[in-house]
Amino acid sequence: MFNSNMKKLLTALAISSAVIAAPVTSMAAEKGASTVEEGKKLAFSRSKGNCLACHMTGDGAMPGNIGPALIAMKLRYPDKQKLYDKVWGKPETQTVPNSMMPPFGQHGILTDEEISKIVDYIYTL
Amino acid sequence: MKKTLLIALSLGVSVGATSAMANTVDPETDRQQLVDFFKAKSPKIDIADYKNGAYIYSADKLAQWEAAEEFPPYLDAIDAGEAAWNKDKAVFEKCFGSDVSKIRVKYPYFDEGTQQVVTLEGAINKCRTDNGLEAYKWKKGTLAQVSAYLAYNARGQKIDVKIDSEGAKKAFNAGRELYLMPRGQLNLSCAKCHTYNAGRLARSNILSPNVGHTTHFPVFRAKWQALGTLHRRYDGCHKNMRATPFKAQSEEYRNLEFYEAYISNGLEINGPGYRE
Ligand code: HEC
Ligand code: HEC
Repeated sequence: MFNSNMKKLLTALAISSAVIAAPVTSMAAEKGASTVEEGKKLAFSRSKGNCLACHMTGDGAMPGNIGPALIAMKLRYPDKQKLYDKVWGKPETQTVPNSMMPPFGQHGILTDEEISKIVDYIYTL
Repeated sequence: MKKTLLIALSLGVSVGATSAMANTVDPETDRQQLVDFFKAKSPKIDIADYKNGAYIYSADKLAQWEAAEEFPPYLDAIDAGEAAWNKDKAVFEKCFGSDVSKIRVKYPYFDEGTQQVVTLEGAINKCRTDNGLEAYKWKKGTLAQVSAYLAYNARGQKIDVKIDSEGAKKAFNAGRELYLMPRGQLNLSCAKCHTYNAGRLARSNILSPNVGHTTHFPVFRAKWQALGTLHRRYDGCHKNMRATPFKAQSEEYRNLEFYEAYISNGLEINGPGYRE
């Protein structure tokens, strides 16, 4: 019980900090380009996001097909925050029963900053 | 379509019941539901073929695998297993009898005396230590070779695990629970890969169905370039889930094996098998 409250608190904290962080990255254009590059590296790295294990992602080689292809993200997630929440694993985004999608933020697999960068990258797909 | 949905739902219901840890399921009903689930998922695949693991899902991979099985890389290991058996033959025959074709099929079983699942590998080492011989190392090496020798001699016989006591039912349910519950940093469960997503690709690996998981062990993996036991594989999958693995032959893994073997009842033993 305590544990789940703790998680909610952590979720709330992470989300508010992401909201604050988001405009900062999008203001500086050059920094934006490099976070997209970094995000791509993080997304492809087996020890970090490893998104390719399950998703077709950009030009990544040999993707799995457990999850849907990550394409047209801007179209499907006009609200970028919702995309961040999905990757972070905010409980209300975990709606698919027995989903393989790991809750990257909630389980501490990636830091909030790493998730932000990955989201910047997949938002370009 | 409607049928698929119904079956998927009924599996979901029984899964839900276990997650609440409210009650235990009847093993035979559970096995039948799982078989129906896989039949609905892949109507063209004969359940008898599930002994071939992930290869049932790809004609190309199946053809490559069948070619590899013609001159399999595990033949030397079977010979080594036979040599190890013969070296301590007197002791082994005292424990297992003299017909090496009749041993593999008896395992795993539930021992009413100790209220524990007994696996083939566990019995081999117990036989050794009870008779003053040193236990083999778990997971690979001579133990896997002797196990492979016994599996090879039992090829064609069918898995026939019996559950006819409360204790055995409990062990099955404990194994099933370990199979279903998410564990580890990635929030994965065995079921997410080997039941719900069986046949899909994790990167370039096709995910095998859990029905049939135990038929062909120990396995010679190209990646290991040697034989490994079922518990070695459990260890590897738990690590991939970023979960802490249990020890080979721990009660947890013996129960997991008992569950996976029971749901594979009726399938042919075809070990040792070659895997990528
Ligand atoms: C182990 C498998 C797995 C991994 C690894 C994985 N995902 Fe997923 N993902 C899924 C599955 C399955 C779904 C669909 C079910 C759901 O929404 O939960 C999904 C859904 C999603 C969605 C929602 C898609 C949509 O159409 O709305 C996004 C976005 C996403 N994943 C991004 C990522 C990113 C980014 C990574 C890497 C940082 C990643 N995933 C890693 C399995 C995975
Ligand atoms: C992230 C996905 C994933 C999870 C979770 C997972 N496995 Fe696996 N497992 C694999 C892959 C990939 C393979 C290799 C391809 C195959 O044969 O399925 C494999 C192979 C196996 C095999 C060998 C199959 C064969 O035919 O030789 C067994 C047995 C097995 N897993 C059992 C388990 C058990 C039990 C669990 C839970 C403790 C588990 N796995 C969790 C991905 C997973």
